[in-house]
Amino acid sequence: MKEKLEALLRDGAEKIQNAKTEGELQEIKGALLGKQGSVTELLKEIPKLDVSLRPEMGKAVNNVKALLSEQIEGRREELKLKASEISPDFDCTIPGIEPKIGGLHPITQMCYDLNDAFRSMGFEVFSGPEITSEYFAFDNLNFPPNHPARESMDTYWLAGHDTGDADKKLCLRPHLTGDSVRYMQTHKPPYRFVYPGRVYRNETTDARHERAFFQYEALIVDKDFTYTAGKVMIKSILSKVFGQDVPVRMRAGFFPFVEPGFEIDMGCLVCGGKGCSVCKHVGWIEIMPGGTPHPNVLRSAGLDPDEYTGFYVNIGLDRLVMMRYGVDDVRLFHSTDLRFLKQFK
Amino acid sequence: MKLSLNWIKDFVKIPDDMDLTRLAYDLTMSTVEVEGAESLAKRFDKIVVGEIKEVLPHPNADKLRVCKVDIGEDVKDIVCGGSNLEPGMRVVVACPGAMVRWHGEGEPVEIKNTKLRGVASFGMICASTEVGLEDLFPLKDDHEIMDITSFDVKAGTPLATALDLDDIILEIDNKSMTNRPDLWGHYGIAREIAALYDLPLVEFEKYEPDVDAEYDVRILDSDRCPRFIGAKVEGLSVKPSPFKMQSRIWRVGMRPINALVDITNYVMLATGQPTHVYDSNHIIDHIEVRRANEGETLQLLNDKVLELSTDDLVIADGEGAVGLAGVMGGGKDSVLPDTESVIFECANFESRGIRRTALRYDNRTEASSRYEKAVDPERCDQAVSMAMELFAKLYPEMKVTSYKDLYVKKLEKKEIDVELEWLDRRLGMRIPQEVVAKKLGTMGYEVTFTEDSMHIVVPTWRSTGDVSIKADIMEEVARMYGYENFQPTSITTTFDGAINQLEVDLVRRVKEYLAFRCNMQEIFTYPWMSDEFVHAIMPTTDGILALATPPSPNESYVRCSLLPNICKAIVKNERNFDEFDIFEEAQIFLDSDYTEEYKGEKLPCQKKHLGCAFVGKSDNIAELFRRAKGVIGMMPRYTHMEAFTFEKVEKPYWADETVWLNILLNGKRIGDLALLSKKSALACGIKVLSAVLVELDMDALEPLKSRTNRYARLPEFPMNEYDLSFVVDASVKWADIYGAIMTKKSDDSLLKEVKFVDEYTGKQIPAGKKSVTVRLVIGSGEKTLTGAEIEQVAKSTTKKLSKAIGVEIRG
Repeated sequence: MKEKLEALLRDGAEKIQNAKTEGELQEIKGALLGKQGSVTELLKEIPKLDVSLRPEMGKAVNNVKALLSEQIEGRREELKLKASEISPDFDCTIPGIEPKIGGLHPITQMCYDLNDAFRSMGFEVFSGPEITSEYFAFDNLNFPPNHPARESMDTYWLAGHDTGDADKKLCLRPHLTGDSVRYMQTHKPPYRFVYPGRVYRNETTDARHERAFFQYEALIVDKDFTYTAGKVMIKSILSKVFGQDVPVRMRAGFFPFVEPGFEIDMGCLVCGGKGCSVCKHVGWIEIMPGGTPHPNVLRSAGLDPDEYTGFYVNIGLDRLVMMRYGVDDVRLFHSTDLRFLKQFK
Repeated sequence: MKLSLNWIKDFVKIPDDMDLTRLAYDLTMSTVEVEGAESLAKRFDKIVVGEIKEVLPHPNADKLRVCKVDIGEDVKDIVCGGSNLEPGMRVVVACPGAMVRWHGEGEPVEIKNTKLRGVASFGMICASTEVGLEDLFPLKDDHEIMDITSFDVKAGTPLATALDLDDIILEIDNKSMTNRPDLWGHYGIAREIAALYDLPLVEFEKYEPDVDAEYDVRILDSDRCPRFIGAKVEGLSVKPSPFKMQSRIWRVGMRPINALVDITNYVMLATGQPTHVYDSNHIIDHIEVRRANEGETLQLLNDKVLELSTDDLVIADGEGAVGLAGVMGGGKDSVLPDTESVIFECANFESRGIRRTALRYDNRTEASSRYEKAVDPERCDQAVSMAMELFAKLYPEMKVTSYKDLYVKKLEKKEIDVELEWLDRRLGMRIPQEVVAKKLGTMGYEVTFTEDSMHIVVPTWRSTGDVSIKADIMEEVARMYGYENFQPTSITTTFDGAINQLEVDLVRRVKEYLAFRCNMQEIFTYPWMSDEFVHAIMPTTDGILALATPPSPNESYVRCSLLPNICKAIVKNERNFDEFDIFEEAQIFLDSDYTEEYKGEKLPCQKKHLGCAFVGKSDNIAELFRRAKGVIGMMPRYTHMEAFTFEKVEKPYWADETVWLNILLNGKRIGDLALLSKKSALACGIKVLSAVLVELDMDALEPLKSRTNRYARLPEFPMNEYDLSFVVDASVKWADIYGAIMTKKSDDSLLKEVKFVDEYTGKQIPAGKKSVTVRLVIGSGEKTLTGAEIEQVAKSTTKKLSKAIGVEIRG
């Protein structure tokens, strides 16, 4: 009987611990301690025992009964705390409630990313006027007097201000570079600044061409600056913006305000340089012109080109953003269509 | 521009084992962008010469024939509908797997073995249009197949080999060489390749005329025409040029015409120098180069009749204009079927005049696009040399009977001194003198070294504006040495303080506040405005700048306010959303307050503005208004700038009669916040929704130097909120209620704050009245207040209110 009792305690304790619900626990309680429960059955057998054994065994059985009851109540408390407050049918796959947050234009986002990168390298942020004179749009930048870009089919001249001397002719700025001269004329070298902004060209628009677009220029001017340092600068910035090492190459290019001038390509991030439709199967994407400021530009800023040199980069933000998000129509940026703009959080 | 590699090889000996990918890469890195390199042989893959052995009738079709064709390894049956099939004829057979264009139309399709009307056919016998060779083998009728019997080649020979088309065509991006007039021909690119790989370059022998007679050439405007070579060439006829010449002209994208015209095009494609021939029978007396006369007309080669401008330069004879100089020849004197002698022209024209004329008549030609990049006058020598050689080769009987080289304005070669120390410093390394001398020498520069500098004479073909200063020389050296052969150098800096740009930072804070705290979306719009929106928003168009050549006729006004374009954005989004808040930060422009930024330059007023629209359904304008006022009112606090106030000073033109406020900073109006009036909204085409608009002058904002929050001690004893509802005249303003409660409130008052909860008009409220609920915040710095004490504060507040504005307390 002693062994029976021990087995009963062992099995009972195990069953109690394994009970998953209060109902299950109630069943176990009945099976052990109920009127026909195994412990109760044992108690009933005590009178049948030898008198000398009765008190000891009675105590033992009652002890087991008490132990089991205690365990049952303990388990009951445990299960109560564990139970969910809500029906088990609760659906955790229901979508979350989106926080109500607006957004910056994707180009502004890219612009701020670049600002952060350039500022970490000690560049100031500058902005100039969007209506400028021919003087700053072209003359100061070494554009020859009859350069095709000056014609009205390329530049938006203002009515009533479209004739006369260069300082009297006004236009929507066709590029940012003129602003760099404004900055240099009013600050002391060495220079290290960026000047992002909108520029305008009189063009026929399509998925790849816009009349209004956003450029991002940076200029560094110092004594003894080699173009290879310019390459290091571009690589650092692009790698920070894209969050990975970006291969950069600089090849021969011509722009009036730089000498030497470069076309700067970045390795295609879509295919890793192997060639794909995004990079027209060359593995490189043309992203910006750049180069050493032309001596005439430095002169119009009042600097001696024998003493000072530097490096320009001119990033087309629209193109960079298109690449970042896979946007296939540049006109969407000015569409004001919220279905488009709201995609960029 | 397309270039033939075989043609380039005429001028520079490129090793046969040269890796083409490498060549294209090196040219791209150092000179021009090579966009592609196409193998012509590959284009004609699986297309071979076949010889027709027999032509048999087709059992099931009248118009088809079954040909037994020898294609080298075998004789195959090919079904064909060609009109000119003959035994013994050599034809072009596209074998299975070849790509051809059916009947010369549509995309190329792959040829497969097939059955035509029940007869098996191996591949296809092609018409010239089907293999893209119609320019070299013109169709005489629609059903003619291409006949290459005249080519002495064996059956089975690949077509590319048979026609000597085993060539690589390089496609150069024209934009990458607009500054390099010397590169617009095969010879120019050959020179670059020679310098890149240190290879020898073929030189032209100067043509020495062997004639006594001078051709009568007169130049009347030497600025516009520095040089004109005229020669009368006799003993000619109009015939096709040799196949090789035609084929070269064709493969780089032009069409062969006849031997005389082909010579001029061939010379231009080789040297970059345009030339022209006139039928000498139609040239009266002499040739003169002059400006067009007032009212003069000219019929061009393409039959277009021009009314000339006196700015146009023309080639004229004794009677009148015969050609538009540098652009296109005239119709009257062109080469005709019976031409037997020509006047050959090889001339140099000033670039900008040619460009003006070409643009004036929207007639840019192969010639004008070269001239407008400034060709040097010395190049005429190369062109004449090559042309005369070709005339002699194609017409052994030909004779130059008179000749004149009128060279009135020589081009000065540029001379540049470069200090070697400067060059080293700018390159960041020293390149050996012999390397510099060799690279520059191959490109035509004459270099003399002295102890510490080099003297450089620039060749004529680079002296037309391209190379003029020492930075240009540095570029020449660096690109030929190879930009990728320079080691990267790091950027050094001296630290003298952190960047601190308050205004720049404020703009960003404002935009981030609106986007991320206020749930608004930033938009970009154009700087020009559509007329209908300008008229809807602006009281007048006076003082608005306009574009001389606007993007479209009704978009000439330049942005004087951000609101017209913001309204346009509302119209656009109204279709898809019924509630949205948008903003834009951009410059506006006014035809006033001109300031002198730089000596002589007067720029109009330009300011950075912020525009916002809070858009929603029309049934809850109060909510819309409060949303806008909350966003703008909280802005100074959240973005760290001097606070501004709202007042009614002057109603904006576009604003509703009642719902409007001006935004003031230090007493000065810097912006507006108002409901767009029904009238303006309708004029804009906003159909359903209502909008509260804000426009703010960002330049007027004053950023704080640092965050200026002050800490407020936490209350030691509980604060109690007590809501008070009362009924007042509907016309009573919150400002009056607030004022009534807060006036004469002592500093130690238990009433700490009064907040607006809501207002209500409806069934339970009498007409002309409204119910207002305010929340009183009541507490003490010394103790916890009892219920009675709180009630006391509420009661005294009610008393104040009824005294001041006659309120009636509700339930």
